[in-house]
Amino acid sequence: MDAIAITVNGLAHSVEVSPDTPLLWVLRDTLGLTGTKFGCGQALCGACTVHVEGEATRSCITRISAVAGRKITTIEGLSSDGQHPVQQAWLADQVPQCGYCQVGMIMTSAALLAKNAKPTDADIDGALAGHICRCGTYQRIRAAVHRAAGSGEAQ
Amino acid sequence: MSGAANVSRRKFLKVGAAGSTGLLIAFYCPAFAAGAAGADNAIEPNAFITIEPSGEVRLVITRSEMGQGVRTSLAMILAEELDADWARVRVVQGDCDPKYGDMTTGGSMSIRSTWDPLRKAGASARDMLLAAAAQTWKVPKSECSTNGESVVIHAKTGKKLEYGALAAKAAALPVPKDVPLKDPKDYRIVGTKRARVDGRPIVIGEAHYGIDTKVPGMLYAVVARPLVFGGKAKKFDASRTLAVPGVKKVFEVDAVEMPPLFGEERKPGSGHQHYLWGGVAVVADSTWQAMAGRKALTVEWDNGPGAEESTEKQRAELVELLKTPGKELKKIGDPDAAIAGAAKKVEAEYETPFLAHMTMEPVNCTAAVSDGKCEVWAPTQNPNGMATALASALNLPQSALTIHITLIGGGFGRRLCIDYGVEAALISRAAGAPVKVIWTRDDDIRHDYYRPISRHRLSAGIDAGNKVVAWSHHIAAASTDGTFLGGDIPDTGGTEIAGVGLPAGAVPNYFLQQSFLHTAVPRGYWRAVDTNWNHFAVQSFVDEIAFATKKDPLALRRELIATKEKPAGSADNDGDAPVDVSRLLGVLDMVAQKSGWGTALPPGRGRGIAGLYGFGSYVAHVAEVSVAKDGTLRVDRVVVVVDCGQVINPDMVAAQVEGGVVFGLTAALYDEITIAGGQVQQANFDTYPMLRIGDMPKIEVHLVPSHEAPGGIGEPGVPSAAPAVANAIFAATGKRLRRLPFQTQELAQA
Repeated sequence: MDAIAITVNGLAHSVEVSPDTPLLWVLRDTLGLTGTKFGCGQALCGACTVHVEGEATRSCITRISAVAGRKITTIEGLSSDGQHPVQQAWLADQVPQCGYCQVGMIMTSAALLAKNAKPTDADIDGALAGHICRCGTYQRIRAAVHRAAGSGEAQ
Repeated sequence: MSGAANVSRRKFLKVGAAGSTGLLIAFYCPAFAAGAAGADNAIEPNAFITIEPSGEVRLVITRSEMGQGVRTSLAMILAEELDADWARVRVVQGDCDPKYGDMTTGGSMSIRSTWDPLRKAGASARDMLLAAAAQTWKVPKSECSTNGESVVIHAKTGKKLEYGALAAKAAALPVPKDVPLKDPKDYRIVGTKRARVDGRPIVIGEAHYGIDTKVPGMLYAVVARPLVFGGKAKKFDASRTLAVPGVKKVFEVDAVEMPPLFGEERKPGSGHQHYLWGGVAVVADSTWQAMAGRKALTVEWDNGPGAEESTEKQRAELVELLKTPGKELKKIGDPDAAIAGAAKKVEAEYETPFLAHMTMEPVNCTAAVSDGKCEVWAPTQNPNGMATALASALNLPQSALTIHITLIGGGFGRRLCIDYGVEAALISRAAGAPVKVIWTRDDDIRHDYYRPISRHRLSAGIDAGNKVVAWSHHIAAASTDGTFLGGDIPDTGGTEIAGVGLPAGAVPNYFLQQSFLHTAVPRGYWRAVDTNWNHFAVQSFVDEIAFATKKDPLALRRELIATKEKPAGSADNDGDAPVDVSRLLGVLDMVAQKSGWGTALPPGRGRGIAGLYGFGSYVAHVAEVSVAKDGTLRVDRVVVVVDCGQVINPDMVAAQVEGGVVFGLTAALYDEITIAGGQVQQANFDTYPMLRIGDMPKIEVHLVPSHEAPGGIGEPGVPSAAPAVANAIFAATGKRLRRLPFQTQELAQA
């Protein structure tokens, strides 16, 4: 096993794992970043979503060798203090129930807003089509993304 | 029965010092299951509050948090009567401990079982703090008051003392008698929207679920379990597995017998199916290495008789079961004769499938077993049941067990089962190290305890005056309890009939029969349990009668809800009040008004209604659907009216109902566990889909203002979703879909 260099939340790491190891398990087991969740292992539910160079990416099917040398952001690095507008909107609308899927929802929503400052319902539904919330919080998720989009604007 | 009412005051509440300067209040909360062994025998305090010198109020939470907001709502109830500053109330998750009594979280019971004792404890503590302040100031207690800021005030002099400063003195005072509770009009916290106390860790990724457990020296394991229910590993070849880097050990896990879940008695030889799955464990340095090792494993299975089972055969058997009389559970009048002699007869059969729980956090557990001790970190709804099972499987006294109850990434009843805790402990013991056992998604869906399959035959007799004079319901289903207690459940006829209630007592002739399907497929408790399948049949059938009698579905329901009798098998717990007709009619009328019931909709669209009394709450749904010419079904809008008595946190009630509707719709629209060759055919979210954001209807939840005792709310939002949609589909198309999930191809126009 050769060491693979990755940058996670601004910190450089060198990890010695099999190159086919999914990024998800490197984050969780090797680096101890458990905010990113395991849901399905097949990119069917979105719980494992992180940013790779700003793109929402399913870490459960992304081999570590494919992200060598790239910049990865997890929920732990989305903001230093939970002040990202998406996180704040999630609290304002009391979105989470069990909360397990919400980190993935937040990461995809943050990536969406970085590209599309004023998404429509259809934009939001499109971006989050790959995500599942078993508690059924979708209505609040939509509202929270709109709230986060609004919060960046001058009133 | 309110448990607290049966408890003497002396035993209900005890106080003492917390440390040297705090106040400890210990009191009794009744158990989750009224019938659970020992539940009401030992009425010792099992709930604990401390008031620290700093003024912090700390409540030990002895229920599991899985998204229902229980940590927040229980703290709100306490803070209300204590008149505490909400910002200084903290919750602490209790580990499993005999001193906490029954810690089961299920049956939508958490608030119902703690509402009275928490309020009384809070009010008593407040009264003692008032007395302590009065003593300090040498003024009458009646001149002292509180204002919701954790201070006692003497208005005449303007003096104030913090609760924290009074705690030590209060701890030395006698326990007051019959302290009056607040008038609801004075509530400052109960009934107001409050943010979850544990919301922030979730959105910053710091919430720790069971699967996030990490302990020193921990290894990771996955298990190859038999795909056929009741199967066993005959032999296995681990040579390739052991060659995978990081794999430490490969060994067989026995299929050990498990005790019942809730301390019930089980007859020897009852034919229960409650065994640990067994299989072959692969233990490695990381999750991925364990998974890779399992992939390289070759196991030869002895499938056993379970391999003969298929959904096709089970469905055919249910049809047969309905042809011969079942066990008679309730008979009023002479239903057979009344139906035979009726002017008009309505008949229909309904069908619901096996379902999986599919919690987003897959089943997992971490265990450390060594030196005659066992410590587990378990996302569990049933720590007491897990303790019993661990003690038995490991042959250890319960005092050797430590069970940490973690935050749960979705429970829905799956985590009332205890298999995965015992499995983790046995693997840790064999591995000689702490081990986290992770179930992959296909492990999770293929080794669930499934919501049972069922089929229903309903018949009604209508007289010449167009009135329903007879109603007959025969339920054929696999039994949930049978999994844990025995295949025939010979002496417990009358369970698993929740949701059949509506017309019992309202029609002069009524008949309820039940037959059980025998199957190796394990069954378990799934959000709202038997209410789901029985209620789907009953609420669909009411609509069929409405059509046959040319009545409006709401008007017919109003006509049939004419009884004060408790619906047969309203589920629930013995203590539940009889159905309050006015409250059931109230939610139906209000949902009609809020949804625009009776107003015109464009062609291809329709509305359907269903109403439930269950889990101590009254809930009515109106679904609005569109059906395209090709049969494509879309649920556009669901309006729900909830009367769950006194609401603690309206935002969380709304959230539970929104989620309940999604849970019910997901099952109704998409899901079915099917068996072929004794194996579950579904493996992940592609073959067992979930409702996603793009399919989300507009859900509107309206709460009926009430100061009645709180009802449950985790489950009652679920059961009406399916029948309301079935009834809406009929309104839109004139086609009646009687099988779940809806076979929408039948809606396509030729």
